[in-house]
Amino acid sequence: MRVLKIHPEKCTGCLRCELACSYMQTGDYQPAKSVIRVSPFEGHTSYAPYTCTQCAEGWCMTACPVGAITISAVGAKDVVDDRCVGCKLCTIACPYGTMFYDPATRKAFKCNLCGGAPACADACPTAAITYEDVETADWLGDFARERTARVLTEAR
Amino acid sequence: MARRHLIIGGGTAGMNAIRTIREEESERSTITLVSAEKPYSRMVLPYYLDRSIAESHVFTATARVLADWGVTAQLGKRATALDTTANRCTLDDGTAIEYDDCLIATGSSPVRAPVPGADGPGVHSFWTLEQCRGVLAQIKPGSHVVMVGAGFIAFTILNSILALGAKLTIVEIAPRILPRMIDDTGAGLVQSWLEKHGVTVRTGAKLARIDDAKGRQRLKMPAGGDIVADVVIMATGIRTNLEWLKASGVKINQGIVVDDHLRSSAPNVYAAGDVAEGRDLISQANAVHAIEPTAQEHGRVVGANMAGKDVRYRGSLIINIVEVCHLDVASFGAWDDAKAENMSGVKADRPAYRKLLWRGDRLTGAIILGPSSDIWTTNDVGMLKGLVQSGVSLGPWKAHLKKNPFDVKTAFIATKTTSTLLPETILGRPSKAPGESPVAV
Repeated sequence: MRVLKIHPEKCTGCLRCELACSYMQTGDYQPAKSVIRVSPFEGHTSYAPYTCTQCAEGWCMTACPVGAITISAVGAKDVVDDRCVGCKLCTIACPYGTMFYDPATRKAFKCNLCGGAPACADACPTAAITYEDVETADWLGDFARERTARVLTEAR
Repeated sequence: MARRHLIIGGGTAGMNAIRTIREEESERSTITLVSAEKPYSRMVLPYYLDRSIAESHVFTATARVLADWGVTAQLGKRATALDTTANRCTLDDGTAIEYDDCLIATGSSPVRAPVPGADGPGVHSFWTLEQCRGVLAQIKPGSHVVMVGAGFIAFTILNSILALGAKLTIVEIAPRILPRMIDDTGAGLVQSWLEKHGVTVRTGAKLARIDDAKGRQRLKMPAGGDIVADVVIMATGIRTNLEWLKASGVKINQGIVVDDHLRSSAPNVYAAGDVAEGRDLISQANAVHAIEPTAQEHGRVVGANMAGKDVRYRGSLIINIVEVCHLDVASFGAWDDAKAENMSGVKADRPAYRKLLWRGDRLTGAIILGPSSDIWTTNDVGMLKGLVQSGVSLGPWKAHLKKNPFDVKTAFIATKTTSTLLPETILGRPSKAPGESPVAV
């Protein structure tokens, strides 16, 4: 299946992915509603976007008491709005912190790969996000480990 | 392989087991479900109570779905005895069902405070769909609702009561609210937040009796300040439904003691959910969790094992979340472990709170509290669960988190927790989507 592959070293922190994601998901440019989140590293000298890996277990999906999270045609775990009651069990079941909740609609929401045409990958000017047929992986771990050495030294 | 499966209890554990049997089995077996009620999800009753969903939304399997799944349903009946030598279960109408293997998933029932008047007509429990209907019929805009008990169950319906336009008073005999979900600091923040949102909270408040007062209820408080209520809801705890198993010979401690495959002392009898005393992921000791996520995982593991697979369960993790007036309150793992090293951070004005509990450099428990509108609250909720579940060694990040308890995300990513978590699955394979149609076999 095709997944979002993150190339953190290419990210410039421009946040266009967050804008594009929120526009696609909600119809408005409101990065607060984006399900891809750019994180700063090393005192805002590096950035990387973080989003759902579409993991094999699908902790959000198996936790839902009313079967409101399903697998879409492109293989994404997807919230069915009409079924979701907003109980938030998925938000505590997902161990990656990639479930979101909208207090206005009282629904959970998450990355659904935009039905097979992810807006974040499309919007990224440096190809730091690509949509590829690869095994999902921990795209940020090694990058973040390198780019946090200074933060950790300061903590001592 | 077992040909005749018997599932006793149509709640979360039982229904997850049935679906997983159908997903995993290589040959079609027969499944009989015994359930006192039509299968529904207790988790979503608060949303039926505030009328944001229709009653039909609460059901987890309609008669048609059960038929599609090939389940023989004995609904409206209760199991009264289990003969583990003859492999036979007797129901309250005298029906006897023979099985090759069976699952006990009979859940819990609410208990009321032992005070005179607690069984009176104006006093409700909120546990079953029937009780939900009863409460729903009584609450009107402007009603004064008194909730006796300030635990998790009470808090799950707090928003719904307010949404119906009722005035709410919470009465708790303990000195603080949410004693089994968060610590004193967290409880203090939640209580202040509730009071700011117009909820009256009386902690350390002993209730002597409940008297009928011309259709209303008078709660007699020995320390003074009697309360008159239109509706009283008692949420004073639950008790597992195990009495019917006394003569079964199945080993019972706090719950039915189960092994790492969720088998009881009778090898072809499994137990799951609230009645099961299974392994806790953090302590590795047996415990009764009585929470929805444990019932889900238990049910799936049992279903796979009943279908002939060999699935060992890693143990369940305590996870709880409740939202009150747009404040998220969650806790994970051994959040109340008095022997654990702990560190915390509070932003009282927001309010936001993080408490991290450690054994060595691994997170073994956490408490988190923050406004639902803060994205980082929701993100941190998941990541703290991931850190506790994975037991990733945080090394130098421990010192960082001590100084910056709100910087969970950086620590999560930089310790490559995602790498540790990605291969983890409950059944040793990718999960399937919850289709309404039967799984073809």
